[in-house]
Amino acid sequence: MERSETYHHRRLDCGIDFAALEMPGRHTVALNVRVAAGMVDEDESRLGLGGIVEQTITKGTATKSARDVSDAFDAIGAQFTGGVGRQSTVFRLGCLPEHLDTACALVAEVLQTPSFPQDSFEVAIQLAQQELTAMEDDPQELASRLIARNAYGSRLGRHELGSKETLAAITRDDVVNYWKRYYGAARMQVCVGGAIDVDGVAQSIDRLFQGFGDGASGAFETIPVEFSPGVRHQDKALEQEHILMCWPGVSATSPEHSVERVTLGILSGGMSSRLFTEVREKQGLVYWVGAWNEHPRGAGMMFAGASTTPARCDQTARTLLREIDRLAEDITQEELDRAKIGITAKMQTHGDITRARVGELSGDIYHHGRPIPIEERRATIEAVRMDDVRRYLETHPRDKLCVQTLGPRPLEDFRG
Amino acid sequence: MTQSGGFHEHTLKNGLRIVVETMPHVRSAAAGFLVRTGARDETPDLAGVSHFVEHMCFKGTKKRGWEQITRDFDDMGSTYNAYTSKERTVYFGWVRVEDLERQIELLADMMQSQMPSEEFDMEKNVILEEIAMSDDSLERKVYDLLHERLYAGHPLSWPVLGTTESITALSRDSLYGYFADRYHPRNMVLIVTGAVEPKAVYDIAERICGDWAPAEPRPDRARPKATLTGVHKGVVDRFQRQAIGILYPAPSAADEDRDIGDLVASILGGRNSRFFWNIVQTGVAANVAAGRLDYCDEGLMLAFGFTEPDRADELLGAMRKEIATLQSGGVTEDEVQRVRNRVATSLASEGEAPYYRFMQMIQEIDVFGLPRTVEQRLAVLEKATPAVVREYLARWPLQGDGAVISLGPRDWPV
Repeated sequence: MERSETYHHRRLDCGIDFAALEMPGRHTVALNVRVAAGMVDEDESRLGLGGIVEQTITKGTATKSARDVSDAFDAIGAQFTGGVGRQSTVFRLGCLPEHLDTACALVAEVLQTPSFPQDSFEVAIQLAQQELTAMEDDPQELASRLIARNAYGSRLGRHELGSKETLAAITRDDVVNYWKRYYGAARMQVCVGGAIDVDGVAQSIDRLFQGFGDGASGAFETIPVEFSPGVRHQDKALEQEHILMCWPGVSATSPEHSVERVTLGILSGGMSSRLFTEVREKQGLVYWVGAWNEHPRGAGMMFAGASTTPARCDQTARTLLREIDRLAEDITQEELDRAKIGITAKMQTHGDITRARVGELSGDIYHHGRPIPIEERRATIEAVRMDDVRRYLETHPRDKLCVQTLGPRPLEDFRG
Repeated sequence: MTQSGGFHEHTLKNGLRIVVETMPHVRSAAAGFLVRTGARDETPDLAGVSHFVEHMCFKGTKKRGWEQITRDFDDMGSTYNAYTSKERTVYFGWVRVEDLERQIELLADMMQSQMPSEEFDMEKNVILEEIAMSDDSLERKVYDLLHERLYAGHPLSWPVLGTTESITALSRDSLYGYFADRYHPRNMVLIVTGAVEPKAVYDIAERICGDWAPAEPRPDRARPKATLTGVHKGVVDRFQRQAIGILYPAPSAADEDRDIGDLVASILGGRNSRFFWNIVQTGVAANVAAGRLDYCDEGLMLAFGFTEPDRADELLGAMRKEIATLQSGGVTEDEVQRVRNRVATSLASEGEAPYYRFMQMIQEIDVFGLPRTVEQRLAVLEKATPAVVREYLARWPLQGDGAVISLGPRDWPV
């Protein structure tokens, strides 16, 4: 049953950039809090700090122990998780509508009055060190971490876990100072969605976060990408060679963003897309192959990747490269239409999930500074024409790639 | 307030069962076929055939070649896939409600696959790559090792993907024989969830699947008997972490105790659990959990963790201590209530999307015929008190050493 959905967006008195999506009839609510504090804000000698702050902030407040905080969320069945990104840290909450007020109050308490206990801080460092070890057993994550440095440069290309050395250098004072400097109402975007009373939620959040932080504005920075093309390899004893390639794309706010999204659909939308067809179905080279894009604020990066046994890695890499090149040569109307329907149909099916919609809204506020209604989003995809794709491919050459392999051997005679 | 319009079922003359859950509040629908055959229903010479068949169902029918199959999915913008487990094979697609009939028709056509010979060797390469990828995953390898050792001699011990040897040796004809034997209406269920009318779904199914010929039911399964003692270890140098598991008996998927088993696992090693506070938050290991592994006639309680190899003893000791405390002291009402609250929220989230409901219902449909409603699932937890858990622990005790699984760079325990 289609019921009308309404978008709201306003600046609250406390300084928070607030957006809401009213979805009558929904049975859960979702809330995203984005703080303008990310990996780029870490000191070079303290990489990993943003993640340690995010992990430790839930481990106690002025009136609650670490366990009390978890128990309080559990008392209302609320799920509360956090994650640090390049330029922001996002906290996500999901609960039943009747518990939203209590949940908001808890989130406010956690973000504003963390006690950062020394023992919890020390454990967070130890666990992050162990996660670094765990990453060595996760080739896909490890390959992504390796390519990021060369794709984005030394600031945007950071990894949330830092390194053993930088983690060891972090002190509790660093945690407290990072929180003081970067956490505050004027540096926060709050998005909420579900069957909610928008004005009531807005007032409640405004009241809860009044006076939080030093009031310093949270203008999200745009940091230039430092792209370093080239072919690089890291040896590792694995059954499969992991191959990643990337090249600059457009930002989330670019007028060509929708065109790029459709192009990506042609390359790697469903199983009928080019990479799956050419690399897996026709040649049987891989089980996993794919392409995707990432959007730091004001920038974009396109990726393609595959994993295969070492004897087939050269052929796999050549095929990936050929498909990336071939995009400009022979896209058909049928492929274009299929890629578009792949995007717009999923907007509708996945739109049934409240937390997915709020995640999307949070991305819109972050990148565009306004909610993009789903109809508008659909219309921009439907408007993409063959000429747009051709123009996009002509004006965004893919002749300089950043290539990273991880596994038993480097590629032979491969142009980057 | 109930989100679900309820369950509806119907059986075609040829034996194909159809289960529908109506979800009037959504705009989409998920549809799929549950085929009641998996790795445990294979013979040793066919290890991995169920999963291979799953891949081959995407490769060609009388009406469609492989390219047409994937194009038809993508022309609907379907979110689709398939998976194979020890006991079943599932094919599904999640689409806008107006595309439901097209989605069912496409999936049904795949169930009548030709298993085309010309695609067989190419797909074999894909599966060998999937095995290689799985071999690079410590999580996957320890899961396989656990089954290999605890169910040695029983079909549950075979890996779902098969082995490099069994897949290399598999012929297209034996694959086809297995497929013809298992893919027929009496061994399948069509499941549909979403904004649909049950009667309309039955009519679609009758039109598309009504002429499928029934065959004999799948052979009965031999009941497994797990070895729940001893140390079972493997050494793989290239991993950096040691995976450690301790196993005890637990209720099967068909046992009424299963929800209490899950409750116990959650209190021991779920979110905000004893493992989390006493093992993770003391810095012993970043990843420690507990859960119930279950099959239609068999269950295991598994406590497991991943740690740096030199801390393996510490992790094993810490898990043992929590297990012993739970067995002797039981659980508190607060602990039970926290799980109830969490489950209430996750059931509400699950109820939002036909895709999630579809995934959730499969096992219950397979084991019991019909799934339980959200209300029925919550009611079991409402009745679960610390006394109920104590009775459960008397029936399914977590005592003695259990079986220990270890896999990683270290030959441990010595």
